[in-house]
Amino acid sequence: MSGDEGIYPHLIMFCEDHLEKLDPRSLALRKEKPVSTAACLPNDEWSQIADELKKWQEETKASETSLKQQSMFDALVFENMPPIRGSNCSVPLCQTSVKKEKWTLSKHTLPRDYREWDKFDVEKEFEKIDRNVDKHDAPAIINQGHPKIKTKVDASLLTQQEKLLLANREKEKGNEAFRAKDYEEAVAYYSRSLSIQPAVAAYNNRAQAQIHLQSWHDAMRDCERVLELEPGNMKALLRRGTVNNHMGNFQMAVEDLRVVLREEPQNAAATKLLLEIEKKMKERQPEQRRRGKQILIQEVEEEDDNDKTRAKETARPVEPSQPVGGEESSAAPVERGDMGNTQKKPHSRGDGGPHSEPNNSHHGHRRGKGASADKYRVTQESKEKVANGSGKRGSTASAPADPSSRKEPPVGGNAGETVNLDAPCGALPPPLSRLKNEGNLLFKNGQFADALEKYSQAIQGFTDSGMNSPEDLCILYSNRAACYLKDGNCQECIQDCTRALELQPFSLKPLLRRATAYDSLERYRKAYVDYKTVLQIDISVQAANDSVNRITRQLIEEDGPEWREKLPEIPLVPLSAQQHRREGPPSAELLQARAEKAARDAERKAEVHFTAVKQEGNDFVKKGQYQDALGKYTECLKLKPEECAVYTNRALCYLKLERFTEAKQDCDAALKVDPTNKKAFYRRALANRGLKDYMACSSDLQEVLQQDPNVQEAEKELEEVTVLLRQSLANVSPAKPRTTVPITEVAGDEETLGAAQSESPRGEEPINLQLTNAYEYGQALNAARCSGNTAACAALLASTPPERLPHFLSTQLDGNTISFIMQALDSHLLEKDPHLVYQHLHHLHTTHRFSVVLMLLEKDERRYMTQLFEHLSAVQSAEFTKNDVQNLANKYI
Amino acid sequence: MSSPLDKPQIISHIQKSLNYTVFDSKWIPCSAKFVCLGNYARGTGVMQIYEVQQGEAQLIKEQEFPKPIKCGTFGATSLQQRHLATGDFGGNLNIWNLEVPGTPVFSVKAHKEIINSIDGVGGLGIGDGAPEIVTGSRDGTVKVWDTRQKDSPVANMEPGEGETKRDCWTVALGHAFNDQDRCVCAGYDNGDIKLFDLRNMSLRWETNIKNGVCCVEFDRKDINMNKLVATSLEGKFHVFDMRTQHPTKGFSSVSEKAHKSTIWQVKHLPQNRDIFMTTGGAGNLNLWKYEYPSQRSKTDSDDLAVGVAGSVTLLQNATLSTQPIASLDWSPDKKGLCVCSGFDQTVRVLIVTKLSQV
Repeated sequence: MSGDEGIYPHLIMFCEDHLEKLDPRSLALRKEKPVSTAACLPNDEWSQIADELKKWQEETKASETSLKQQSMFDALVFENMPPIRGSNCSVPLCQTSVKKEKWTLSKHTLPRDYREWDKFDVEKEFEKIDRNVDKHDAPAIINQGHPKIKTKVDASLLTQQEKLLLANREKEKGNEAFRAKDYEEAVAYYSRSLSIQPAVAAYNNRAQAQIHLQSWHDAMRDCERVLELEPGNMKALLRRGTVNNHMGNFQMAVEDLRVVLREEPQNAAATKLLLEIEKKMKERQPEQRRRGKQILIQEVEEEDDNDKTRAKETARPVEPSQPVGGEESSAAPVERGDMGNTQKKPHSRGDGGPHSEPNNSHHGHRRGKGASADKYRVTQESKEKVANGSGKRGSTASAPADPSSRKEPPVGGNAGETVNLDAPCGALPPPLSRLKNEGNLLFKNGQFADALEKYSQAIQGFTDSGMNSPEDLCILYSNRAACYLKDGNCQECIQDCTRALELQPFSLKPLLRRATAYDSLERYRKAYVDYKTVLQIDISVQAANDSVNRITRQLIEEDGPEWREKLPEIPLVPLSAQQHRREGPPSAELLQARAEKAARDAERKAEVHFTAVKQEGNDFVKKGQYQDALGKYTECLKLKPEECAVYTNRALCYLKLERFTEAKQDCDAALKVDPTNKKAFYRRALANRGLKDYMACSSDLQEVLQQDPNVQEAEKELEEVTVLLRQSLANVSPAKPRTTVPITEVAGDEETLGAAQSESPRGEEPINLQLTNAYEYGQALNAARCSGNTAACAALLASTPPERLPHFLSTQLDGNTISFIMQALDSHLLEKDPHLVYQHLHHLHTTHRFSVVLMLLEKDERRYMTQLFEHLSAVQSAEFTKNDVQNLANKYI
Repeated sequence: MSSPLDKPQIISHIQKSLNYTVFDSKWIPCSAKFVCLGNYARGTGVMQIYEVQQGEAQLIKEQEFPKPIKCGTFGATSLQQRHLATGDFGGNLNIWNLEVPGTPVFSVKAHKEIINSIDGVGGLGIGDGAPEIVTGSRDGTVKVWDTRQKDSPVANMEPGEGETKRDCWTVALGHAFNDQDRCVCAGYDNGDIKLFDLRNMSLRWETNIKNGVCCVEFDRKDINMNKLVATSLEGKFHVFDMRTQHPTKGFSSVSEKAHKSTIWQVKHLPQNRDIFMTTGGAGNLNLWKYEYPSQRSKTDSDDLAVGVAGSVTLLQNATLSTQPIASLDWSPDKKGLCVCSGFDQTVRVLIVTKLSQV
């Protein structure tokens, strides 16, 4: 190194490199560059730019000339302008000056223009006043402008060119807002752009923004619109896939994504999403099962989810049929909520909605085929419809319980192999219905020409008979049209369909058949109109959807972008036909269906209320406010006394509040509703444990484990309880709270024990009444029985808690013992304490081997029993009614 | 690191030497033409219209005026008319029909002294509401004009009696996203920036950036105020996030030292509001991109919302000359095309490439 000052390029370069590593944004790295010229760019790039520029120059020149020609609209434009602002008002530059208020106010002394009053926004003015009043602690002004942005632009006076320009600009604003993550604002601007001129890109972008806002339905609508304008738009497909994924329609999402990947195999986003969805779909079934197990263990959280799902399932406003198809039933619970609402609108493409019919076996099969098989599909479908037509809606849609489908008169006999040719068909007289059924059968067998003849005969007979039943005639025509279609006689098919439609406007099948016929005659416009009408009636007809897409493409090719203008008018389907697919006077069936629907609605409302209350309860539980939760659950039970989950939830609250007896009762109630409810068993076990009834506790836990050996908590609990049980059995526990029954000590109560002793004529050693295990109890009982000392037995029974009796008796129970106990109860206890007797009886029959013993009872022994029950039923008691006794007696006798 | 060719490039497409000092240059909307405004050495004003044709700027029209023209705008005219509003050294606001530039279609003695800056909104389909023009002058006033009202401005923002009059160097219109709302921003020689709310006719916000404010511009005129860029005499610019206004702290901002000399102009790309170009006193151009923070507002200790400014990145720079670039205008129609003029008596048409990729 020379040590001299100077410029050392290598040193500079090294420093810069290093600096770039440390701080790539450093100012020192900014070097001034000379401006580039065309020569700096690669040749091809520059020529591309130059070409673009040239093209743009030509285009602008053309548009400029056209602009000049249109200046006569100026006057109009002026008329449309907002009024001139107030007048010359001054705004001082200084914010804090007192003068300012004066100036500001001066504006309002001027009379307002009438038009200005129209725009007078009272709330704004109030706000303004408010702001002036508390200027000093004014809140921060956040310019969330989007609610104020008009989503429509009046572009009526603009020329096509201006419209294009404006629409483009609004779209750009939308894009910018989107990039700044102001999705609502972006949606507003896209809407503006669309109001000026609908365009694919704006719809597409709005869909994306809606996805970010998670308004799935709007996003879906936009995607569909894009696809309508431009079938096969990749972005729209991808976005629809995303939306479907979020809405839980995995199957449809997968379909969309597959289409995308077919066109663009390297589309990373689609691949990723597809994998994700497939994983979800795979996981779903096991996941639900697993969740079922967890319910028991995790006290509230999991259970809530599950309950929510269940509640929503039942609360869904659609058909009563539960979804059966695997894909739908297991959609994630959160998305379920979304779905419930959507189903009202038939936005989905038929086979995706969660209420597709259970027997959709042919669905998957048909959907598997490529789009090219459209035509085949339709005919196949119609064939199916004719063949097994008995009111079942062919294939494409809708739940079987839909009231409308019931309305449809049966077309054929029974589906399946055994066709009853004389099955009655609507209002047709037997010979005609026979003809029709024969036709159906022939059609099913593929003998279209013969079927055609049968139908023709039927129609002839129908007209001859002069009957007035347009529905049946419509069906006949429709069926014959299907035959014509099969035979390739499209003209005749169209004629028949038209006749059918005259009889029954907006019936689905003839429309679909006519559309197919038009389609195969290459009269696309008419076909398009018919398909569209079909879709208005029932959006879910897949064949129509596909064909509409295909024809749209075809027509765009033929007629260019204005193809819509050349279409005949698409008839507006009345609302009544849209849902029920067929008009007609409200028959009794319809009324009934409506009544049912109303009932279902009411039920649903109750359900919703119920769910809400329950949810509140669950929330309280989560927060640990068990007392409040208790109230909510009790309310729930008033609404729906047979809801198992609520009982178990309330039991949980009782448990937490250490009110074990009530907890146990709730569990019992739950088990009455659902005798295999693990949760109830588990919680009853906990309650029993709390009540120190370890025996019952352990049996409950064993029950749980028997049902599901994987519940670890139950296992653990069982271990603990077994230990406790052993302990409690081992030491004769003087401190046991259970022994709060009146007679606990040998030398204690004079009354009962004294009576027992005085009545023991043999004067044998007094029976130890403080017994804690089955062996001792058995010994005592045997002693009493052998000596025939019913009084001692009664004393023994009186000192036994009724619920423990079965446990004590467990091994010793035989016919003699039973009758001995009966006698003891009858002769000694019944008078003193009928309730205790009742309780003993109530528990006795749960003893192990009781039923076997009962069978082996001898006549005398039975007599004692009958006597006892007769006496018992004669007793008036507050604790039990005659009915209860009767019920109990039934178990014994 | 990406290769330098992936970044936007600033390419000098056409360069035209002029025989007068050019103060402002503007694209005529919906055309490949631009106007240049300036003054001849003999003290008269001049307006020239050029058309871009086959890589050259061809003079189409020229008109001489008694007073030098300082600034012009198309912001308040309709697309069909495309009338140019200009401010001159004498304080006159004139509106010209470019087809017949001899006599103005509207003329008013707007200010006592030179009009430094002019802006318009409500025309060209940009901004809802009435077309309005705002002018800022050395006499210290900022005035808003509606061409339907001949003699007096519809709003006048002037210093109170006894207050010192500051030279207003720049004005900008914005916040015109519906019929009523509209804001004027003015920058003064002492570093004051003032934001006037035309709806409430009041001063909404003011701040001082310590150095004279050479140029202010909203990123878009016809949206709910989003960002405002203000450039200063000593080479710094400030980007204010205009979405959240704190009662005492006002709008939050980020500042950046961009040039070693005065920043004469800032212009946002019409097709992307987050990209803007600044022009420097040493003849250089800087192309910037604003990046939003993850959260655009937060709450401070008093539970009031306060904005959070983002950051700016330099995308590209280029040195055109040694003299200041006094004006720059992006073509509203062709993305990446811009015209700029400097005190070296040259007007240039530039192409900025790859703007869609940033």
